[in-house]
Amino acid sequence: MDRNQLEEYKLLVDGQLPWPQTKNLMSSYKDRDRFFKILAIYQDKVQWQEKILLPIGENLFIVQKGKENIVKCTCGYEFGDYRQNWKLQAVMVVRKTREDLERIYPHSDVCDPSWMEIREFICPDCGTLLEVEACSPGYPITFDFCPDLEGFYKEWLKVPLGSE
Amino acid sequence: MNNSPKARPVVAGIDAGGTMTDTILVDETGTFTIGKAATTPKMESLGFLESAIEASDYRGISVQEMFKNVDVVLYTGTGMLNVLLSRTGRRLGLITNKGIEDMVLMGRGLQSWGDYSYADRLHAVTHQHPKPLVTRRNTLGVTGRIDHMGDEIIPLYEHEVEDAVNTLLERDVEVICICFLFSQVNSLHEIVAEKIARSIIADQQKTTELLCSHKVRPVIREQSRLNSLLIEAYATGEGRKQLESIEKVARENGYRYGVQTLQSFGGLTSIRHPNLHETMISGPIGGVLGARYISQIIENDSLVVSDLGGTSFDMGIISKGQIRIEQEPLIGRFKLNLPLIAMDTIGAGAGMHVRVDPLTKKVSLGPESAGSEPGPVCFDNGNHIPTICDCNAILGRLNPDYFLGGKVKLNVDLAYEKFKQSCVDVLGVENVYDTAEGMLKMLDAEASVALRRILSAQGIHPSEYTLLSYGGSGPLHLGGYSRGIGFKDIITFQFAAAFSAFGCTTADFQKRFSRSVHMEIPLVFEASEVKHTITGINDIWEGLKTTALEEMISEGHASDQVEFQPLFLMRYTGQLEDVEVFSPLSRIEDEGDLNQMIATFRHIYRNINRSVSDYGQTSVSIMEMGMIASVEKIKPRLAKAKLGPALPPGQAFKGTREVYFEGRWTTTELWEMDEIQPGNIIKGPAIIEHPATTLVIHPRDSVFMDEWSMLHYRHSQEGIE
Repeated sequence: MDRNQLEEYKLLVDGQLPWPQTKNLMSSYKDRDRFFKILAIYQDKVQWQEKILLPIGENLFIVQKGKENIVKCTCGYEFGDYRQNWKLQAVMVVRKTREDLERIYPHSDVCDPSWMEIREFICPDCGTLLEVEACSPGYPITFDFCPDLEGFYKEWLKVPLGSE
Repeated sequence: MNNSPKARPVVAGIDAGGTMTDTILVDETGTFTIGKAATTPKMESLGFLESAIEASDYRGISVQEMFKNVDVVLYTGTGMLNVLLSRTGRRLGLITNKGIEDMVLMGRGLQSWGDYSYADRLHAVTHQHPKPLVTRRNTLGVTGRIDHMGDEIIPLYEHEVEDAVNTLLERDVEVICICFLFSQVNSLHEIVAEKIARSIIADQQKTTELLCSHKVRPVIREQSRLNSLLIEAYATGEGRKQLESIEKVARENGYRYGVQTLQSFGGLTSIRHPNLHETMISGPIGGVLGARYISQIIENDSLVVSDLGGTSFDMGIISKGQIRIEQEPLIGRFKLNLPLIAMDTIGAGAGMHVRVDPLTKKVSLGPESAGSEPGPVCFDNGNHIPTICDCNAILGRLNPDYFLGGKVKLNVDLAYEKFKQSCVDVLGVENVYDTAEGMLKMLDAEASVALRRILSAQGIHPSEYTLLSYGGSGPLHLGGYSRGIGFKDIITFQFAAAFSAFGCTTADFQKRFSRSVHMEIPLVFEASEVKHTITGINDIWEGLKTTALEEMISEGHASDQVEFQPLFLMRYTGQLEDVEVFSPLSRIEDEGDLNQMIATFRHIYRNINRSVSDYGQTSVSIMEMGMIASVEKIKPRLAKAKLGPALPPGQAFKGTREVYFEGRWTTTELWEMDEIQPGNIIKGPAIIEHPATTLVIHPRDSVFMDEWSMLHYRHSQEGIE
């Protein structure tokens, strides 16, 4: 990979790429292997060896561990099979009182706690905030994304899952 | 035009574009010489002087001799626009009404995508508001409100103004801006706040500047008025410094007067013009001014102008002598209520990158361009992405040893190699030359479609219109992009590359003042209403005239030389857009005069929108009244010569070169543009070369030079055989 391009993608992944370049990337053609280039950058950033198959959040990845595909945090904490909702294994903070909500939305911008609560999902190991959802009180925990991993690799990337 | 006889030079027009700075030197007989140098954005006076030296060299005089002789030095640059785009302006504070402090952050929706390509407009993920010129923290609201009728609803809380001023001074802002709602109708609160601020600034012995929206632009539409105010405060400080440094250089070299610059509606003014943001966009409009001037010579007042440069293709229309003025243009992604000569622009130019998508094999031009640094691949300056210019070089259309008169040697082999690598091989085709020609045809097609679009949008039939083509790359692609549209005539110039600078020198000294109003003129009205309306109109015009005259006199013009043109913006009541009308009368006396105003509006409305669009029995509203004060200035004159024989003189012939046209290499005659004489006809395939531009004549087409030395391009089906 072109050195400048690699630097640009690294900054993009870190959220440090200035807006004009980001916009430029968005508006121009995508290189055929962009997905694998980005995966390689993520793989470089983590300390563990398991192969990243798909990033599903800023700090969450579906990785290949032995014959299983599991969800793993940047810190190495494992949430289990990717077909199960990883949020169920996370530490959860629910902001459902006005006081709690006001700590995030000061002044009058706060929502009505009888209509909406904010649930924060935190890694039990490193304490990183992994995901936030806003739901009505009592609504089941949402399962954001259960990808068709095999189909994605075979149909879109044109390589067998885990072979690259 | 160059090497003209030695008459005294009287006007020097300098236009600093994004890439090149052009100087046009006009002498008292109206003949002119042209100089070109690279633009130096950080220190514009360097490029200015370099370019002026070259223009003087062509006349065989020193630059000092030139500056000593000229009466007018006219400079249009990009300094202020650069300050705005690079966000390197002054630190601002804003005092506004309590409750609308977020107006700066919220902006207008279209500011987040206004200058995007069609694809990006559709993809909302790319939309982004421009970075505000004043921080939210330094935007302070004070209690007080005037409504849209100008009535005070809540009095101004003066102690809050005092607190706000003190806070901003503590934060060490460089300019305090004051913008209250509806100050264009009643500026009382702004005046009071300004007074308070001024006294606090004086007490604290600070040098903080103070600007009020009712002084900068007392025109309706809050966001645009606010933007105009902020840009004036933000960008013009540095811009004025650049202009002053240019004046300094001119004076050091013997110039005796003040340097002039051009306002976006087409009038000249001193660089000490109070609202300098009005001069921010002036380069591109020079072309339209030049076209208006040319229209008098060719006796056709309906023209389409087209300016093809390195990065953009700008188009404008003059219909029956009427130049379209846009009242609320987008500049640096901010909406301003600033009258600007309307131009349509698409991203298409000779510096445009040519790309092929490796996945879909789709070919696209731009949107980025190589600019002057590093330039196209063939400049051999570090760029490896091929451009349209490289395609022209590969096909033999550009002379590798005569680009910019030989200043830049083109590396055609490198262009070929890179083009093959990143386009031809990716496409998986064999023929490099066919592919390169295809790219040029794509650019021609994009420009042609854009022209057709603005023609059909205005309901114009091209057979009534003459196309003017200029800009450094205009003549290079003229034959391609004008083909098949059916213009009455197609004209380009020996000085095509400096036509905008030429156009600027045809402007007069002008000041334009306007004020928003809302006067509905019903179809049937009472006598008392007529009297009220007439008094209102006359009072506003008188007020504007007094201000305009004062400013003209302060810039050193004699009061008896100042001519006034009252104008008004009118619409059929209920419509959303205004039409600018130059009033046929300078004062309204009775109902008959009022009807004459309305008749003039209807006439212009029909000219712009065609007769079928006329409204018939509908009342009209005046939305803005204005006054233009002008003083005439000496202009360049095209020299008229007798038509000679069709055969060009021997010294114009430069030999032949193999050029790729329509899928094969064709032996093509080469001519030197400055040696072509009036009456000469050159048949294609041929290439007419000039240090600053190249005119390509396609096979079977021809070019004729008329008695004014204008070049008429004739497509084969409209040939002159």
